[in-house]
Amino acid sequence: MERSVKDAGGGQSPAAKMEKRAEYSLGALSSLTLVLIAAMVIYVLSKGWPSFAHNGLSWFGSSGNVDQQLSEIFNSPANPKYYVYKIGTWPLLYATLLTTGLAVLIGIVVATLAAVFIVEFAPESVKRIVSPVIRMLAAVPSVIYGLIGILVLVPFVGNEIVSGGRKQSVAGVVQLSGASLIVAVVILTIMICPIMIAIVADALRAVPRGWTEGATALGANRWRVMWTVSVRAARPAIIAAAVIAAARAIGEGIMLAMVSGSVGFAPNPLDGLTFWFEPLRPYAATIVDNAEGLSVKPFGQTMYAIASVLLITALALSLGGAAAKRPLRKYGVRL
Amino acid sequence: MRRNHLTIAAASCVAAMALTPAIASAKPTITISGSTSVAPLTGKLLPKYLAKGQAGYNKAKFVIYQGGSDIGVADVAASRSVMGEASRDPKATDPGGLVWNKIARDAICLITNSDNPVSNLTAAQVTAIFTGSTTNWSSALGGSTKTGPISLVVRTAASGTQDAFAKLFGVSTVAASAAQKASNGLIQQSVKSDPNAIGYVSEAFTSGTNVAKYKGVSCTLINAKSNAYPAVRNFWYITKGAPTTEAARFINWVKTSPAAKTIIASGWVPLS
Amino acid sequence: MSTTARNPGPQIVHKRGRDSVSNWRLIDRLALYACWAVGIGLCTVAAALIGYMCFRGIQYMDLSLLVTNPAVGASQADSGGFLSPIIGTFLLTLIGTVIALPFAVGAAIWIVEYGRPSWLARAVESAIEVVAGTPSIVLAIFGLLLFSGSIFEPLSFAADNGAVVGKSFLTAGAMMSLIAVPLIFTSTREALMQIPAQVREASYALGKTKWATIRRVLIPSVRPGIFTGTALGMGRIAGDTAIVVVLLGATLTLEPQGDIPLIKTLRGSGSTLTSYVYNNSPAGEGNAPQKAYAAAFVLLILILILNFGIDKLARRSKKESV
Repeated sequence: MERSVKDAGGGQSPAAKMEKRAEYSLGALSSLTLVLIAAMVIYVLSKGWPSFAHNGLSWFGSSGNVDQQLSEIFNSPANPKYYVYKIGTWPLLYATLLTTGLAVLIGIVVATLAAVFIVEFAPESVKRIVSPVIRMLAAVPSVIYGLIGILVLVPFVGNEIVSGGRKQSVAGVVQLSGASLIVAVVILTIMICPIMIAIVADALRAVPRGWTEGATALGANRWRVMWTVSVRAARPAIIAAAVIAAARAIGEGIMLAMVSGSVGFAPNPLDGLTFWFEPLRPYAATIVDNAEGLSVKPFGQTMYAIASVLLITALALSLGGAAAKRPLRKYGVRL
Repeated sequence: MRRNHLTIAAASCVAAMALTPAIASAKPTITISGSTSVAPLTGKLLPKYLAKGQAGYNKAKFVIYQGGSDIGVADVAASRSVMGEASRDPKATDPGGLVWNKIARDAICLITNSDNPVSNLTAAQVTAIFTGSTTNWSSALGGSTKTGPISLVVRTAASGTQDAFAKLFGVSTVAASAAQKASNGLIQQSVKSDPNAIGYVSEAFTSGTNVAKYKGVSCTLINAKSNAYPAVRNFWYITKGAPTTEAARFINWVKTSPAAKTIIASGWVPLS
Repeated sequence: MSTTARNPGPQIVHKRGRDSVSNWRLIDRLALYACWAVGIGLCTVAAALIGYMCFRGIQYMDLSLLVTNPAVGASQADSGGFLSPIIGTFLLTLIGTVIALPFAVGAAIWIVEYGRPSWLARAVESAIEVVAGTPSIVLAIFGLLLFSGSIFEPLSFAADNGAVVGKSFLTAGAMMSLIAVPLIFTSTREALMQIPAQVREASYALGKTKWATIRRVLIPSVRPGIFTGTALGMGRIAGDTAIVVVLLGATLTLEPQGDIPLIKTLRGSGSTLTSYVYNNSPAGEGNAPQKAYAAAFVLLILILILNFGIDKLARRSKKESV
């Protein structure tokens, strides 16, 4: 069947027809992903729409104890006319912003320092250990992070670090059990670091040698060269890394469901140090915790509404991350 | 050449899958969902029921999901599950058209950590503790040396045990700050690991904790059977309308066979 | 003048001289120490994680756990082992990868080799990026929504009252494939782009059609790339919990549905190591931290083997990455 055929054929020879068929079928196969994403967004959004419609913009606001609202929705009477939809998800939104924001901020600093370390300062023997170790951290499943969190860190924080007096000071409002903001942020940062380190290190390595050698020639020491030349040049990569890590952090449900406290509480920064020990529950963890109640109609619609918020945010962040990575192509950095 | 073999293999897989509805399954599948308190009992009953020589041998397949009594009720009402399990009595707000079959009884025990050996709790104390009007141990138990903030561990909204607790112990609204757990096992574990915790579980889940008497009566199966212990609730199997043949066979076996009664008696209270 | 060791070329020894660290300003020295601290700190964290998991895993692990099935029991002693979760993990990884491969490789080939019209190619690339960034819990509940429809009854099973359950290995595997697709796609695309144009031109000059070139020349040479991507994808699938918890039915043992051998297991429900660990931890419905540690240990070993396997493969190919 290997007959030579010119590309501009109108499908006359069987080989040319095969060509066209191959191209179209591969194209159709590829477009299926597109169709799937579109279907997912439309389907999830339409399933969650009643929850948005009944609440309007106050869906994102604060209108009372979120957990209580969720149980009221869950206990709605069976008659569709009397379904309860009222919810103000601000504590959940705030928890998502807090955990993701803090994890990404701390993570960027840690990742940049670690990337500089790997690219510049680590001796060859150390580099041979550190690189696979970081890749391994990326491979560990989130349920294992959650397991160590909930069986080791949470009891440690709850029993050793949080004193009885601190617990008493917020008793009646919330219970400090150790599953808290600080444990969630620490584990989440460790989880997203490897992604960021990979991107930033690749970009640092791709900085043209002439630039760094020029800086060295002007008398800068190794750190200065790195900081003023390479890291600055890799700024788009750092932004791309932050965006991609943020998408990962927002979508992390299992680990956060295990260690963040499973209470729809908005930690209060005015509480001082106690702020770090208060429990919270971001959006993704809320869906994981309540995944069994999906069959109760208004409750399921509320959960799908939360899922659609996550989906659209992840969409925006992924496309943003891809856009941020594009300027790096001109350095020849393949990401 | 290899490509053709692959295509044939793929085509036959697809054909096999397409044919499956055409080949009627010999055994119907009964999906059960609902209470996490009843699920262990069902988990013990089913192997016996499906064993050779028993009524259910080779008759049907059973799949158990959990989720809580309220989810069981909702699933059955919406025809998502064939059978539901509930550990609370029917409420006025439950959907209509459901048939409730009582199969066993169970006691709800109040448990505290072994380092906090509370011997007895009165109704007033229970209400004060669980509604959150008292927040530390020294004021909750007058005259005791125990200090520290009270850690409340309760069940989630979907739980029938939660509803039963509210009704039997007279606590209409639990404190909003209480930690909500999805099952008896999790309450048991929380209470075991936190010296300041107090919670309520099904009688089968009390090992490793201190069980407090309620109104002066110990929480044991004997006291539950004789109705001396006040907090006894019912276990139900729910179906939508009259149960299907296989579901009816199972429910009947649970209610009447002596083998089922022995199993129920091993951790719960049989009806007769 | 000293140059850094990371540049290829003659190895220049780092001389003690004007650039010795002790001559740096304080701030620069602090930054250097910070970099070292972070690097070593991350290694310590990783070592602590693995070390603790191994410690607990070996403490609670018992070879009998690998061969007994889980059972309903009130205490940890009689709740059995985790044979069916292990089988479940293998089955699910296999199904997910088998479904993902044609889509991912096909898309990579189409985008690199054809890619007409270009707006469609950009859109497909973006779509795959979006799939990569979607939270797996959202994929899970979307899958539940999709597969509860009666068209998809052959993929799972219908209960006695006619309701399609939508939870089975096939449905979970279908959603899992979405997790593997971006990884396989990226690896394959990178590998395809690295093949120089001369190879393709030589093939055309010899008289082969484009399609034949792809089949006979390109695909065989990007096999390492496909393997790397597949191994990465399998690692991600084996480690995912959200989709399993929602879409696999979480029954303790494998519950086949229907009568056709093999297909009936795929249409049935079961559990995997990840959902077993989750359910036995204080976050699930179980109450067996010891079993959770043992299963997590087995899971970790599995994933590390998969990933170090990739490491070997990646080292064989030319490109160096982190």
